[in-house]
Amino acid sequence: MKKKLMTGVAIAALTALTATATTAQESLVIGADVDVGTLDPRLARDTTAYRVANLISAGLVHMTPSLEAVPDLAESWESPSPTTVVFTLRDGLTFSDGSPLTAEDVAYTFETITDPDFNSPARGLFTPIESIDVVDDLTVRFNLSTPYAPLLSYLDIGIVPSDYAENGGDMALEPIGAGPMVLQSWTRGSEIVLAASDSYWAGAPEVGELTLQVVGDNSARAQAFEAGDLDVIQSPLSPNDIQRYAADESVGSEIMAGLGVTYLNFNTADPLLADPQMRQALAMLVDQDTIVNQIYQGVDQVASSVILPSSWAFDAEVRQPTFDMAGAVAMLAELGWTDSDGDGLLDRDGETLSIELSTHSEDPNRVQSVEYLQAVFQSAGIDTNVRITDWPSFSTGYVQQSEHQIALLGWLRITDPDRMLFSQLTTGGGLNWGGYSNARVDELLLTGRTALDQDARAAAYREAAQIIAEELPYYIISYQGYQLFYDPETVSVVETSPRGGFRGLIGMGASE
Amino acid sequence: MTDYVIRRLLLFVPMAIGIVIVTFCLLLLIPGDPAAVLLGQDATPEGIATLREALGLNDPWYIRLGSYFANLLRGDMGYSIFQSAPVSDIILGRLGATIELAVVALLISIVFGVTLGVLAANRQGGIVDAIAMLIAQIGISMPVYWLALLLMLGFAVHLGWLPAIGREEPLISALGMALTGNVQPLLDSLAHIALPAISLALNSAAIISRLVRTSMLEVLREDFVRTAKAKGVRRGTVIWRHALRNALLPVVSVIGLRFGALLGGAILTETIFAWPGLGQLTISAISQRDLPLIQGIVLTFALIYASVTLLVDLLYAAVDPRIRLR
Repeated sequence: MKKKLMTGVAIAALTALTATATTAQESLVIGADVDVGTLDPRLARDTTAYRVANLISAGLVHMTPSLEAVPDLAESWESPSPTTVVFTLRDGLTFSDGSPLTAEDVAYTFETITDPDFNSPARGLFTPIESIDVVDDLTVRFNLSTPYAPLLSYLDIGIVPSDYAENGGDMALEPIGAGPMVLQSWTRGSEIVLAASDSYWAGAPEVGELTLQVVGDNSARAQAFEAGDLDVIQSPLSPNDIQRYAADESVGSEIMAGLGVTYLNFNTADPLLADPQMRQALAMLVDQDTIVNQIYQGVDQVASSVILPSSWAFDAEVRQPTFDMAGAVAMLAELGWTDSDGDGLLDRDGETLSIELSTHSEDPNRVQSVEYLQAVFQSAGIDTNVRITDWPSFSTGYVQQSEHQIALLGWLRITDPDRMLFSQLTTGGGLNWGGYSNARVDELLLTGRTALDQDARAAAYREAAQIIAEELPYYIISYQGYQLFYDPETVSVVETSPRGGFRGLIGMGASE
Repeated sequence: MTDYVIRRLLLFVPMAIGIVIVTFCLLLLIPGDPAAVLLGQDATPEGIATLREALGLNDPWYIRLGSYFANLLRGDMGYSIFQSAPVSDIILGRLGATIELAVVALLISIVFGVTLGVLAANRQGGIVDAIAMLIAQIGISMPVYWLALLLMLGFAVHLGWLPAIGREEPLISALGMALTGNVQPLLDSLAHIALPAISLALNSAAIISRLVRTSMLEVLREDFVRTAKAKGVRRGTVIWRHALRNALLPVVSVIGLRFGALLGGAILTETIFAWPGLGQLTISAISQRDLPLIQGIVLTFALIYASVTLLVDLLYAAVDPRIRLR
């Protein structure tokens, strides 16, 4: 029934195309894994919220699929000094309610984000912003406390209408923005419907109506796609479904490297794991190939360092230790861990070598990976326990309290190397849950953050990655893949971005 | 009778207080910080601290519990941490979908379960009995999650007869439209509710059918049934008119209990079929540690459950005149 309905829509879309030729496609239904909490772009915290907010509103810049910042609302920008960036807005910008968008709105947006009491999840990304000056209606100046190279890559965050937000407008439920689409309706837990906006500076999108259908269960979402209820689905998906669709010629597929990593967080403050050599020995027990190619069925990629291979800072010469059971056992023996009492477990000074691995229960592949690691550790003579709890208990109640020994988890949305290194691995950093400290790494990560010349940044990150690959506060298991599947009969425009945004599905993904 | 209902309703007050306290204590015990979950991966520690203060998470537990009760008395269930909306609004927006699903599933399981049970008892040890009890066995042992995916695969993906996910017009308003001559919304709504309701109902239907069978077998051995048969009453009339009414008594109380199980089962079913009800909301509220929302949902479920058990007790009296409510 629904399938027929979809064909009907496709025919209608075709007729519309020949009749008016304004929009290539009448409607598009995309499956999402989580519902949006709030649609205020400043407060967005789930993937669906980022993606929808990115359609309703527009930022100063747009991030292309190759992660390059190109002008969106800002026409151009320049840095008169390392700590100032001046943006010039396009002339005649308006929000979808018809009110003009000026430098005031830009300043308001970032002043609220950086206000501690506003509690924006993005505040951590903008802490170097000291003040914002409105020079004139079209010019706005950002004053930074320190040079901050990654800034531009975070400025695709949506600009909010200050008049509306200040005077009782509900940005969370009834957002207004200057993006290519407007909010039509939102049924909590079920669907969000967006319609093409006629006020976006770059013109109308190629899709008239876009619906986001929330289906929490990965398998159910895949089946709904097969049944024709959804036109597009994307990560997270189960490895089984990914393999099946990738091989199916009637399904359009986009498979690429994503912006996330799965890694082991070593608690370097734990006496047992304080010695880098110990961490090296344990890292040599991580059978990346089995985890990536068997458990994850090859949808991810075996990792070699803390820098993503798609990044300008990547260096293939930097290599973490790889799987080597005999080498690990030899290195443990060198550290004094041998099976002196013949019970099959390593010991030193009468104490058995005992380690706890942990992860969260929501992702069955991570659970399986940890259980597999436990088996390998155990066969190397390490008494290994596994601790698996739900995400809030594991992340906020355990790893973030530095109570772990070795935790398996991930970082997402690594649009710039700074985002997964600076707060994470500098001494005393806010996200440095493993208590890692190395003066040279601190220096290099600071250079990476503040040098405005990309070659200098890349060099700093290469050296830092080299030290990290030897000292192993992090052991990166895999670079996460990103997958998108679509029905080629109903979807006409597809330009995917590893960030998983929807602009590429409405014909606005590329550099403009 | 009226006295009885009022007393039962009053009894709900201490029950609600108990439920709030128990949920509250459980939430105190489970680790996980809503402030840290809310701010996500780029959060700074001081950002988390500010938010904890703003959310009142740093207050001692008795202050938090006390102010929760104080607000509750004013009919205020608090504000959802994650959804930027009052808890009562969020719950009311979802309640209809869950009740609709549970009621339809209950109807399916009663009709299916009673029929199956009676047929099985009618020919004890026969082929119908064996098949009916095999179906019941499968229904009891099959996990809802798996069954739901299987039904979706069969009826939505392969056969394409039914939609896989989502909900259309609420059944009630679709029925209203059907009465004015517009039947399409009703058909759409029924098509959407079919798979979730069936997968939710199967387990209850199986339990009810086994209970009806046992109860029927007992009643069929009683003197009045033999008398009726001896008088020459037709077999069908004996079974459906004389025996079933007496056999239903224990079933009625179980049906009340099953409604609670259906509400619980709805948590899984709703998540799979993207049914926008309370079950789905429960999962996300727990995984985000949205404390006020969890409290509100648990309280709502308890209220529904208490009302249903009251209804069942009243029904009991209607089915068996020997029972007098005092």
